Amino acid sequence: MAIDLDLCTGCGDCALACAQENNMPVFEDDSDLPKRVQFLDLMKVSNDRDAAYPDVEVCYIPKMCQQCEGNDPKNPKPPCVSVCPVVATDVGDDGIVSQIWSRCIGCRYCQASCPYEARAFNWWKPRYEGDFKKSLNPDVSVASRGTVVKCQFCSHIWKRERDRAVAGGELDINAVTYTPACVAACPTRAMVFGDLDDPGSELSRLLSREKKRTFRLIHTIDEMKEKDEKKWKAMMQAKNYPNPKVYYLTSKAWIKEMMKFK
Amino acid sequence: MKKIDRKDFLKIGGGAIVGGLSGYVFSGAPFLGMQWLIEWTQDQYVPAGGKEEYLKTICEACREKCEMSIRMIGDRAVKIETSNSGCPFSQNALQLLYHPERIDAPLKRVGRKGTVKFSAFEKVSWDEALGAVSKNMNKLIGEKRGHLIAGISKHDNLASALLDRLVKACGSTAAYYEPSLNSLSQAALGGSVEYDFNNADCILSFGARLLEGWGVPCSMNKAFIEWKKKGTRLIQADAVRTRTASLADQWLPIKPGTELILAMGIANRLSKRGRAAGGAEWMAVVEKYAPDKVAALTGLSVKQIEEVAETFSRARNPVAVAGRGGKGVSSSSAEFLAVHALNTMAGSQAAVLKKGQWLGEPVLSANAAASIKESKKLAGLDDFIKNGNFEIIIINEADPVYKSAYGAELAEKMDRAFVVSITPLLNDTAMYADYMFPSLTFLENDTSAGRAPLKPYLKSAHAGDCLISLAQKVDGVKASFPWASYVDLIKTSGASVGAGGVNYNARVLIDQLALIEKNLKPSDEFPLSMIPVELTFVGDGDGMAFPYALKTIDQKTFSQGKLCVEINRKTAGQHGVSEGERIDIASSWGEIGSVRTHLTDTVAPDTIAIPLGFGHMAYTKYAKNKGVNPKGIMAHDIDPLTGTANWWHTRVKIS
Repeated sequence: MAIDLDLCTGCGDCALACAQENNMPVFEDDSDLPKRVQFLDLMKVSNDRDAAYPDVEVCYIPKMCQQCEGNDPKNPKPPCVSVCPVVATDVGDDGIVSQIWSRCIGCRYCQASCPYEARAFNWWKPRYEGDFKKSLNPDVSVASRGTVVKCQFCSHIWKRERDRAVAGGELDINAVTYTPACVAACPTRAMVFGDLDDPGSELSRLLSREKKRTFRLIHTIDEMKEKDEKKWKAMMQAKNYPNPKVYYLTSKAWIKEMMKFK
Repeated sequence: MKKIDRKDFLKIGGGAIVGGLSGYVFSGAPFLGMQWLIEWTQDQYVPAGGKEEYLKTICEACREKCEMSIRMIGDRAVKIETSNSGCPFSQNALQLLYHPERIDAPLKRVGRKGTVKFSAFEKVSWDEALGAVSKNMNKLIGEKRGHLIAGISKHDNLASALLDRLVKACGSTAAYYEPSLNSLSQAALGGSVEYDFNNADCILSFGARLLEGWGVPCSMNKAFIEWKKKGTRLIQADAVRTRTASLADQWLPIKPGTELILAMGIANRLSKRGRAAGGAEWMAVVEKYAPDKVAALTGLSVKQIEEVAETFSRARNPVAVAGRGGKGVSSSSAEFLAVHALNTMAGSQAAVLKKGQWLGEPVLSANAAASIKESKKLAGLDDFIKNGNFEIIIINEADPVYKSAYGAELAEKMDRAFVVSITPLLNDTAMYADYMFPSLTFLENDTSAGRAPLKPYLKSAHAGDCLISLAQKVDGVKASFPWASYVDLIKTSGASVGAGGVNYNARVLIDQLALIEKNLKPSDEFPLSMIPVELTFVGDGDGMAFPYALKTIDQKTFSQGKLCVEINRKTAGQHGVSEGERIDIASSWGEIGSVRTHLTDTVAPDTIAIPLGFGHMAYTKYAKNKGVNPKGIMAHDIDPLTGTANWWHTRVKIS
């Protein structure tokens, strides 16, 4: 996935669509961020620590699970997967870091190991009062209290589309495409989703075209490639190198600077 | 004293154990414990399955008319997707449709007014509710006091036109609108401005936060993509570095409340190039605002002002935009006029005045004709709340008690009047309603294009249908309502036409400029300026009832039940305020307490930016009692043309 921050107006449609699609629990007060259950966090950031009025700017960064690959693409081991004692989280054939709510025992090791705070813990039983139950999506199971949940790039939509394609006689699974809820909702098309392994996909073409504006949330390591390739390779082999698959695009230097993995 | 022997000891011990156990069993604790255990171990709700289908429809919430697809599982709607662009309105629609606090039948008040509890209401049938309301209206009309019937609408749409017509047919001119971009520009300019943002090449926004819910969000988002493709220049004048200001090509960091003065400064420069608009009297005022004076008042440099005027006048199709804010729009009529004058001066093709053609004039009965002479037409809603009088008021989807600076006064007057509220949720205004009519979401509305995709929720009905049915029962009004239903009416309604010329009222301009200059003078009592900021999904408070919208509120705005106001770092230092401190804010109109500070340089010096949309008294448990509503302490100066308070900029102090 790629998110063009120069096009993001911070409207929050992605977060609303995500909550609706993924049966987010409903609470009366969700204003306590560490306890808030959501997959997509719309972060408001500003450079007001380093700049004074009127040189400041604000920006919104939609942050979800970065779908890390780890240091070995053949055997992907993101930081969260290697710590799970019950294999509730794993990387599937589709490259998506999955999480099975009902298998989770709530030890929260994965939450602690996630460098992006992309996982949420259900401190309370998710309740859907009255008719809210009617709007629940049957493709996403409702989590019980004491489990960790996370964004899975709406992989249930991929499965739905795959089944539909197979029923229609399509035999090549790689030909199946889909759009996660957040990407579908983005009104300015700031979010692009596609197959990173396919050089012809819109996503891959965008990333190769916009190399200068692209960064990931580990770009101190990515930057090293230009400066010191040997050191870069060594850093990539570090045990918890996340190697995320979400790319951000911006023309503002301060955003890149702020989002550095320090 | 008798010595306790072994037998007694065993008896007492046994008794204590038996008593304790029976107490434990009868207290219900073991059953509750078992219930918890079950919840912990196996209770997991499984959403019901069903046949999957996708219903295609058109969102008629705005003029963009986006195509929508509703994913259905059996008879449940589980997701809405729009084909071209999403907007918070459609994303929130399912939450409104299935809201646990949605009103599912007409309600009659049985308890005290001003209470939020549903126990203060009882469900009644439509016939009973309409009968009771029409009986009260008939009584007033019979006494030739129809001018004491009033109506307040939210949107400028056909259902609101029906309410206007009903009020007028009863013999009253008291049909008002909540201040919105449309209603304010209509009052100031005589028509609403239709902007062609896609074809403009330079956009000069006077505090209009174009990408934060302003106008029609769908169109603005689409226009934004076009601007990026075509290289359209966006120049934003605002006292806060909002997201729109950050995305703009140029930001003009003006002092709070000086948008009108900047417009005069640019007009002054354009006049030097031989451009004119508004007549001699208007241009005489423009002449007084030379760049050096404007620079001193707005805090910009002379060079900046001249450059902007140059860019604006050289553009092929420039457009200047008035209407400060995102959803909660507030600009003075003078500002609307001055900005529109800029468009005329620059020969903009991208701002056209249009006038809606709704239903025309109703037929008046003898009683109505007699009472309409008594009815005093006031300029706008706040003017009406302050100076008007009513005995029966019908509120159509609006929430003026929450949104108006005069909300408290309105609540007081409503306490004594007969109030009817048409709303899907019990909002702050409906707290004072005697009868509540449950209205529909757009997913349940029949449209001119066809039947609604979903069936109406329980006993709800469209606001238009409520009003048509009500009109059938009111004396002397029926003739003006020949339609069988709202759908019947849609088919016959007309489109908008071009509005006539604008009346550039120089007197209003001079008064408004004098007021701004007075407000800008440093004051010992109220040293700071307060201006509002909005979150796109919360807006002016409408989004607060939706729990998924609450999940997207950032922690620098509202955290752990506390609302944060933004203060410039240096200013905070001067006032001895630190990050996260609890402060009170006072203006000459009142005081609000218990807000936290967030120090940030995104706000101009000597300025506080306070989020709108918080501090509801009602509007479901998700919105209720969260943060504070600053409208009560915001400026109450009523604009002579729009008749609404220009609350945008207020002088305040903190303690």
